[in-house]
Amino acid sequence: MDQAAILDHQFVIAAYCVTWAIQLGYLAWLGLKWRAQKRKAASSARNPH
Amino acid sequence: MKKFAISLYAAITVALMIWGFYQAIYVAPDDALQGYVFRIIYYHVPSASVAFLFFTISLIGSIGYLAYRRTRPAWAQIADAWALAGAEVGVVFCSVVLTTGPLWGRRAWGIWWTWDARLTTTLVLWLIYVSYLLLRRFAAGPQVQTLAAVLGIFGALDVPIVYMSNRWWRTQHPAPVFGGSEGSGMAPSMARVLLWNMLAWLCWGLLILVLRYTVERKHQQSAAQEALEALAANS
Repeated sequence: MDQAAILDHQFVIAAYCVTWAIQLGYLAWLGLKWRAQKRKAASSARNPH
Repeated sequence: MKKFAISLYAAITVALMIWGFYQAIYVAPDDALQGYVFRIIYYHVPSASVAFLFFTISLIGSIGYLAYRRTRPAWAQIADAWALAGAEVGVVFCSVVLTTGPLWGRRAWGIWWTWDARLTTTLVLWLIYVSYLLLRRFAAGPQVQTLAAVLGIFGALDVPIVYMSNRWWRTQHPAPVFGGSEGSGMAPSMARVLLWNMLAWLCWGLLILVLRYTVERKHQQSAAQEALEALAANS
């Protein structure tokens, strides 16, 4: 494998990894938000004013 | 039943993602001019298409909110939740476009970035929707949803400009592959891989869009409940 082919391969892998990092990072943040919302709803159901 | 349907959809989406990745890395041929690095396109182009679709959903939600905010408040809240979900997930996909693009450009052009029409209008689109999200996050008061809806509509006006930019102006960005000038197009073996990845990213995008919409609806309901409780406590 020549130097250019190795670099091409590294750039493709970097692009795919960045894509997945962004998507999965957002999904994780959404999961945390969902959990916080669920806890808030549960606590307000337990302590109604 | 609902849980089973969601799990099945999620499983199909994951299978499509794996299939799309396999096709892009192992099946698609190298491009005659660009070689192996062309494979970045199989994530870059679907992400751009899905971002455009979700900004359009945000536009429809924003118009719906403005149309119904006085006459049907419940419908307006649903429209607003779709507008926010569309804008936020659209920004995620647009971020992918703005990071995979420069990675491809560095190898294909030798530069990370250039102020060409397609790249600049895409960056402006991303900035408009990031400002939309910042407005929703940090501003307070009864007019926030209305202001956000107006900003969402103006942001969406940039979508057709981005799409048409490499048709209207001479750009360093490659000419459109589909629906471009005569002679444009893609080898069927490459187009098939691109379409698989478009389907996979569309399914993934819809999954997180609905998830984001659900979270926002729950937030709206708990905020409405808190407001009612505060009113009851004060009276």
